[in-house]
Formats: sequence, structure tokens, C-alpha cells
Amino acid sequence: MIHFDNVTKVYANQNRPALDHVSVDVDKGEFVFLVGPSGSGKSTFLRLILKEERPNSGAIHVAGKDLARLSNFKVPHLRRRIGCVFQDFRLLPNKNVYENVAFALEVIGKPRRFIRKVVPEVVELVGLEGKAHRMPDELSGGEQQRVAMARAFVNRPMILLADEPTGNIDPATSIGIMKVLDRINRTGTTVVMATHDAAIVDSMRKRVVELEDGKIVRDQSRGVYGQAY
Amino acid sequence: MRANFIFSEVWIGLRRNLTMTIAVIVTVAIGMALLGVGLMINSLVSGMKDSWYDKVEVSVFLCKKNDPFPQCKGSGGVDAQEQAALKATIEAMPQVERVEFEDAAKAYENFKAQYADNPVMITAIQVEDMPESFRVKLKDPDTYGAVIEGLQGAPGVSNVINQKELLEKFFGLLEKLRWAALTIAITLVFAATLLIGNTVRLSAYNRRRETGIMRLVGASNLYIQLPFVMEGVIAGLIGGVIAAVLLIVSKVFLFDSVQLYLGGTAQLSWETVASSISVTMVFGVLICVFASFVTLRRYLRV
Repeated sequence: MIHFDNVTKVYANQNRPALDHVSVDVDKGEFVFLVGPSGSGKSTFLRLILKEERPNSGAIHVAGKDLARLSNFKVPHLRRRIGCVFQDFRLLPNKNVYENVAFALEVIGKPRRFIRKVVPEVVELVGLEGKAHRMPDELSGGEQQRVAMARAFVNRPMILLADEPTGNIDPATSIGIMKVLDRINRTGTTVVMATHDAAIVDSMRKRVVELEDGKIVRDQSRGVYGQAY
Repeated sequence: MRANFIFSEVWIGLRRNLTMTIAVIVTVAIGMALLGVGLMINSLVSGMKDSWYDKVEVSVFLCKKNDPFPQCKGSGGVDAQEQAALKATIEAMPQVERVEFEDAAKAYENFKAQYADNPVMITAIQVEDMPESFRVKLKDPDTYGAVIEGLQGAPGVSNVINQKELLEKFFGLLEKLRWAALTIAITLVFAATLLIGNTVRLSAYNRRRETGIMRLVGASNLYIQLPFVMEGVIAGLIGGVIAAVLLIVSKVFLFDSVQLYLGGTAQLSWETVASSISVTMVFGVLICVFASFVTLRRYLRV
């Protein structure tokens, strides 16, 4: 599903590469934690999958497509198959829960009837039934992140990228968020989650890829956050 | 493509930047109006040139008794022999198409017709005051130089006047006006381009959250950019409509009154006004689209 082959990314005006000859394979339906200290290249990894950045060398395949050969014109179509969740939720403050989720479908031109059918289902899936008409500022942080997940998942993406989704949320609420991510993963969606949260990684027992200074220093299935030995 | 989504976005954008929108509309309106005025003067001048240059003649005025012209002093006015010789000379010139003699009575008639609304002039001037002249029609009005040179100072000739020269002074003035209008128009178009760029930049900044999410969920570039471009287009269109009104007003109150004063030889037709309006409209909208797109390339990463 996601295939990195010897990928190196150096940002302009920086000597040290953000990613240094990284090769990873993520299969369809996998759940992968991306761990490592700040600046280790986790976000760069996610941005490369979205083709928000281009690698300096190496090849990236996402959903069977070679990103180097994907024309700019087709990048939006790639992004429709990838959902994204961020630490800061990125909701539209002047739209309610339903409208925030529906916005993702409206702007890719889905018919209104389809939107009316799908959005309530997804709102229920993330556990926000009955709150569809609340505004974001009336919701707790955990609830706002659920809205963001509903928006990321409403178009049934093949891949869900989560960049520290629990970063702004207390540990108790984080468990709920992880349950939703797990539920999404069980529908067959590949999930890649960058995180600092050791407790979550340890409790989930999923594959862990650890980055340090742009290099992969560990890749183990059913791993934990800390050193495994 | 959901039209109502685009239009609600456009409406929100225009309202948020109301002052900038007004500035764009005003600049576009005045710029386009001046461009249109330039175009209208252009067609007026060429229309007038066509109709006037067909009629222009070189007037060869003959000496009368007691004429103040130096070359007529001492002579008792032109005599029949001199007049016949002069006519033969003119007819022999290769540039000349035909020659007509205008006697004092006919000149007075023309004079009366020209100043029909000025009775003081008509009563003050008598038939005897009118000079006799040869009206020389040239094959090509541009070859007047040799004709004038050949006749100026010939015996019995008081003065040679080329109507084309007089007209050219007038057309020269109109052409200066046209260039002034076009120069100001170009300056304003430049200002409008910058203003539109700034407006689009502001609304791109105001809507960075929305566009960020649109990018993320895979909205097409067109879908993301269209609201911004439409903002420019709508502001440009409103400006264009105002410019059209200004052009119609200037046709009715300015051009038509100038025409009246000039004797209405070449009317500025409504078709010319309409084509000027459509040219300025298209130009205005194109500029808006261009400015929006260029700005979006810089400030809206897609």
C-alpha cells in the first residue's frame, strides 16, 4: 500500500537530511506506529506520502502509484484516497459537526443525496451521535478530534495518516481516540500514526517503526515504544 | 462542480474584503471607461478623416480691389485675363482633379448657410466683402504641397489656404486626447491589476483554513481556485458595467455635442459605442482573471 524505496529528503537550506535512505513497506490493512523524537522525520514521512513534498532521491509508491510519475493534476485524486488527522484538529470554526464532515465531500463534488446518507453514518462511527449540530467550540478536545477523524474517513480512504492525533488530548480521552482509529483500521483501512505517546503504543501492540535523525533504527511487528531489548 | 458552493464562497470573499472590492471596481471602471473613450475617439477621428478628406479643397483666393494682402497692393483687383491664366495654370497641374470658380455671390451664400444661426455676422458682411476664389480639388489630398507652392504669390492670387492643414490641427488635438486617455487607461489598468492581486491575496489569507482542508481532502485545483478567480471576475464585471454606463453617458453628453458643433459630418454610431464597451468588458475581465491566477500561483499552494 505504501512503499518507500531508499528515500532521501533534504529540505532547502538544511544540510542534514530529514529522511536518510529510508526503505519501508506498509501492507494493506496494516496499523503502523511511527515513533521517534521531534525532528526525526515522522512528519516528513507523512508529507511525502501525500506528495506535499518531493523526495530528493528514491521512489515512493502509494496505492500502486509511483508518486514521481504522478502529475500535479492527479495529486488531488491521490489525496482523496488518503485521510488525514492532525494534532490541531483543523476544523472550520464557523461550521457545525455535520457541516465540517460534509465539507470534505462537497469540495470533491459528491452529490448532496450521497452526503446526506454517508455523513450521519460516519458521525456515528466516531461516537458523536446526537452531536451533529454542535459547533467545534462547544466540543471537548477529544470530541473535536473525533470530528476530524470522521472528516478524514468519510470518503472511505484506503489510507489514514494521523500526525500525533492524541498530542493535545489527555490520556483517558486518548484511549477513546485510539478505539476509533482501531475501528477504522478494522474496516480494512491502512493506518499510519506518528506519535510520542508511549502508553498508547505499548497498549496497542502494533507494528512500530522508529525513526532517528531521518534513519529507521527499528521496525518490529507487535512492538512497544521504548527499546525492545 | 457545485455552483451554489462556489457562489457562496465568492460572496463571502467579496463581503469580507469590501473596501478592497470597491477599490478594484472603481479602478477597473475608470480604467475601462478611459480605454473605451480612447477607442471611441479613434473611430471618430478615422470616420471624420474619411468624410472630411473627401471634401477638402485647396482654396485659391483672388485679389480684390483694396485688398490688404501685400501682393495685391497697387493692383485694382484681379482682371479677367489674369483669372483665365490662373485657371489654365491650375488645370495644367498634374495633381489637380478639378477646379471650380466661386464668385462673391456664391461665397456669400455659403457664408450665410454656415452662419445661419448668427444674424450679426450675416448683417455685418456684405456680398462685396466676400473674396472670389478657385476651389481646387486634388486627386490625392496629401499632395497639396506642390500645388500651394506653385500658386502662392502668382499674379492675382491673394492667399492660398489648404483646408486639410486646418483639419489636421484639429485632428492632431483629438489624437493627443486619445493618447492621453489611453495612457491614463494603461496606468489604471496596471493599478487595477495590482489591486486585484492584493484582494486575492487577502482573501486567500482569510480562507487559508478552508483551502488547506480542501487541499487535504483532495479537492481539485480548479475547485480551490475558482472562488478566488470568480471574485476577481465579478469585481471586474461590475467595474465593466459602470464603465459601460460612463461610456454611454460620454457618447450622449460629450461626443454628440462635439458632433453638433462640428456640423455632424461623421456621427459616432451606437455600434461603435457597443463595440468599445464589449472590447473594454472583455479586456477588463481578462485582466482580472490574469491577475487572480498570477497571485494564486504565489499565495495559494495547491
